[in-house]
Amino acid sequence: MSFFSWAWDWITQASNWRGSGSIPQQVLAHLGYSGLPLLIAALIAIPLGVMIGHTGRGAVAVVNVANAWRAIPTLGLLILLAVLLGFSFLTWLLPLVVLAIPPILVNTYEGVAGVDRDVRDAAKGAGMTAWQQVLKVEVPIALPLILVGLRTAAIFMVATATIAAYIGLGGLGRYIIDGLASDQYGPVAGGALLVVILAVLVLAFFALLGRLIVPAALRRQGRAE
Amino acid sequence: MITFQHVTKRYPDGTVAVDALDLEVPTGKTMVLVGPSGCGKTTTLRMINRLVEPTEGRILLGGQDVQQVNPAQLRRRIGYVIQQTGLFPHRTVEDNIATVPLLNGWRRAKARARARDLLSLVGLDPALARRYPHQLSGGQQQRVGVARALAADPPVLLMDEPFSAVDPLVRSTLQDELVRLQTELRKTVVLVTHDIEEAIKVGDLVALYRPEGRLAQVDSPQRLLGAPADSYVSDFVGFDRGIRRLSFFRATGLNLRTEPIAGQDSTAAEALGAARRSGEQWILVTGQDRKPRGWVPAGRLESLPGDTPLGGVPADGFGHTFTVDADSLRAALDAAVLSPAGHAVGVDGDGRVVGMLSYDELRAAIQAADSAATADGSGWEPSAPQPEPERAAQ
Amino acid sequence: MIWSWIPGNGAMIWHLIWENAYLGVVPALIGLAISLPLGIAAARWRWFYPPVLTAVNVIYGIPGLALFIALIPALGLTDTNVIVALTLFSLCVIVPNVVGGLRAVPEPVRQAATAMGYGAVRRLVQVELPLAIPVIIAGLRVAVVSSISLASVGQLIGVSSLGYLFIDGLQRDFPTEIYVGLAAIILLALACDLVLVGIRRALTPWLRGQRQATRSVLVRALAPAGRP
Repeated sequence: MSFFSWAWDWITQASNWRGSGSIPQQVLAHLGYSGLPLLIAALIAIPLGVMIGHTGRGAVAVVNVANAWRAIPTLGLLILLAVLLGFSFLTWLLPLVVLAIPPILVNTYEGVAGVDRDVRDAAKGAGMTAWQQVLKVEVPIALPLILVGLRTAAIFMVATATIAAYIGLGGLGRYIIDGLASDQYGPVAGGALLVVILAVLVLAFFALLGRLIVPAALRRQGRAE
Repeated sequence: MITFQHVTKRYPDGTVAVDALDLEVPTGKTMVLVGPSGCGKTTTLRMINRLVEPTEGRILLGGQDVQQVNPAQLRRRIGYVIQQTGLFPHRTVEDNIATVPLLNGWRRAKARARARDLLSLVGLDPALARRYPHQLSGGQQQRVGVARALAADPPVLLMDEPFSAVDPLVRSTLQDELVRLQTELRKTVVLVTHDIEEAIKVGDLVALYRPEGRLAQVDSPQRLLGAPADSYVSDFVGFDRGIRRLSFFRATGLNLRTEPIAGQDSTAAEALGAARRSGEQWILVTGQDRKPRGWVPAGRLESLPGDTPLGGVPADGFGHTFTVDADSLRAALDAAVLSPAGHAVGVDGDGRVVGMLSYDELRAAIQAADSAATADGSGWEPSAPQPEPERAAQ
Repeated sequence: MIWSWIPGNGAMIWHLIWENAYLGVVPALIGLAISLPLGIAAARWRWFYPPVLTAVNVIYGIPGLALFIALIPALGLTDTNVIVALTLFSLCVIVPNVVGGLRAVPEPVRQAATAMGYGAVRRLVQVELPLAIPVIIAGLRVAVVSSISLASVGQLIGVSSLGYLFIDGLQRDFPTEIYVGLAAIILLALACDLVLVGIRRALTPWLRGQRQATRSVLVRALAPAGRP
C-alpha cells in the first residue's frame, strides 16, 4: 500500500473525528502550538529587525545569527529543555519562539536595509522623522521580505510543533509519535499527511496575504529578482 | 572594408532602428557614427558582428556577406570594445587580453606574451598583467578592453561609446591614445559616440545620424564643420563650428611681427622707443632665454625713469602661447583672445619667442587657409538657409 | 554536565558523527549535481523558472519528518529514505542559487564574451559558471548545514545519526548526552561550513581582498523557507 492509501484510510475513519484526541481537535491544537510562538517571535523580531535595518547597528550579528540558526537541531533543543524543565508550557514555547525569531529577524532586517539608498535619502530630505521614515517608507517597501520571513517561520513552526510531540506536546505530531511507538503506520501516515496539508495551507495563506497587502508594483519587483 | 547595402532593422513592435542604410567604411580609416540617443548608431555597429541581425539588406565585410559566416568565427576576427568594458572579473588582465588568441587555439605562453606586448602598446605598465580588473582604474580598464580587442590582430575594431564612462580628463587622454594607435596600426575602426566633439577629434570620417535611423551627412570632420548639409547638421555640430574648424588648420607660413619685443635687461626708454616706432601700445617682455614673461603697456613705462630695467616693471600675464608650425590656428586665435594686448605670441618648439600676431594678421591667415581648403572641397558654404530634407511619410 | 562520559563513549560518538556527516553531506552533493543542469536550464529558458520556483517553494514547505514518513512505504526505515528526502530539500535551496548566480553575471561581461566569439556552451562553462560560484556555494552551505541538522530528526524513524544521543539522553534523563549531541551537530555543521568557505576562496582568487557582498538580499530572497 502506498503512503496516500494508508493515510487516506485512516483519515476517513469516522472514529478519528470524534471524541478526545480527534482530528479537528489536534488540527486546532497544532495551529495554536504553531501560531502562538510565531506571534510572540514576530512581536520581538520585527521591531528588532526594523531597528537594526534602519540604523545599521548590529547588522553583523544578524548575519551570524542567520547562519547559526540553520545548524541548531530542533529535536535536540526540545529534548534538552524537556530534560531540564520537565514538561511544561515553557518547555515547548521557549524553544519554538527562539527558533522562530531568526528567519523573521533576518528577513525583516534585509528588507529594511535593502531599501534603496536614494529612497531613504529622499525620505530624510523631505523632513520625515525617523519614525515616519520607518513607518511610511521603509517598512512598506520591506513588506514582501517581512512576509517571506513570517512565512518561513510559520512553516518552521508547523514542522517543529510536529516534532515537539516527542516530548509530549499535543497536536498532529501526536498521531505520528504514538503511531511510531505502537507500530501502526495508519496514524503515522495520516498525521504526516495532515501536517503536509496544513503546511501547504499556510503557504497558500501567505501567498494570499501577500497579494492583499503588498502593492502590485512591489510584488512585480520582487519576482523580477 | 565594410559595406552596408540598404540595411534596415525593424523590431516586432514596429520600431525602425535603422532605415535603409547605405554606408561604406573605407579600409584603414576611423569611421565615427554619431547622433542623438536612439538614432540607430549602436544598432548599426552591432549588425557588423551580428550581435543584431538586420531585417533587410546585406552587410559586407571584406566583400563577404557576414550572414554567410558562422557568428562565433566572424566575431573572432572583429575586435569589440564597449563602454562598461565587460572585462572578465575572474581572469587576470593578461588572461583577459589573451581571450581570443586562446579561443583560437594558441598556446597559453604565447598568448600571454602577446598580451604583455599589447599592454605596452596601449600605454600600460606590463607589471599590471597579473592584476585583476577590479584593481585597475576606469581609464586603465578601458585600455585593457582595447588591448583585448586587438589581441588577435583583427582587421576591424568596433567601439561602442568606449570613453563615455570615464571622466573628461581621462577621456581626452584615451582619445589621443586612439588617434596615436591608429597612426601605428591603421585598423578599420567603427566607433559609436553621442559626443560630436569626440567624433570630430578621432574620426577620419563622421556619419551623423538623424533621430529616426537615417543618415544626415557622411563627411570628413572639416567638411562637417565647414559645410553642414542642413540646419539639423549645423545645429548638431554646434554654433561655434567656425572656430572649432580652425583646429584643422595649422599655424604655419605666418608673417610674425618681431616688434615691439624687448628683453628684460633693456631699459624702459628703449622699450618705449620700440613701441613708438611700431605704433603699438603694448610691449612683449622676454627673459634671458627668449621665453615670454609678460606684456607691459606703454603707459606704465612713461612715468618711470628712462633707465629702469624692464625686468623690474610689473608685467601682465600673456595667457598662453602657440607653437608656430605645430599648433592650429584655433590655438593662435585663443592665444590672441587671452592676451591683454590682443596679440598672439608665437613660440618655437622650445618655448622661445618667434614673433607675434595681431587679430588682423590672424584673420588674413584664416582666410588664406580657407582658400586652400575651398580648393580641396572642404571650404565654407555661405550660410543661406538650406532646404529641409524630405520627411519620410508617416 | 558529566565530562567523563565523553571519552568513555568516544567510539560511539565518533561513529555517530560520521553517520550524521554522511547523511548531511551526501544529499547536498547529489542535490548540487541535480541543481546544476536544472538551474542552468531555468536560467536559460525564462519560462521554465517560475514553475520550478513554485515547485521548490511547495516542496521546501513540507515538514521534514512528514517527508521521511511519506517515503517509508517506498524506501523503508533506511538511510536511503533520509538521503532522498534531504536531497529534495537541498535541491530547493541550491536551484534558486544556481539561477540567481547565473543571472547575476553582469550583462556587459556576457555580451563581451559573445562578441569575442564564445559559443553559448563555452561561455557558460568558462565565464558564467565561474562567476556564479560564490552564490552557488552559498546555497550549498545552507544545504549542508540544514541537512546535517535535519538528519538528526531521522532518528525518530530509526535512522541512526547524532539524534540518537538526544533520544537516549531523554530516555535516561541524562543531560550530558544531550549537550554532547547538540555540540557535536553544531560543530560538525560549522566544520563543513568552513570547508566550503575554504573551497570557495580557493576557487575565486579574483575575489581576494574584495569585500564579499555578504550572502545578501540575493541569496535571502531566493533561499526559500527555513528548515527545522
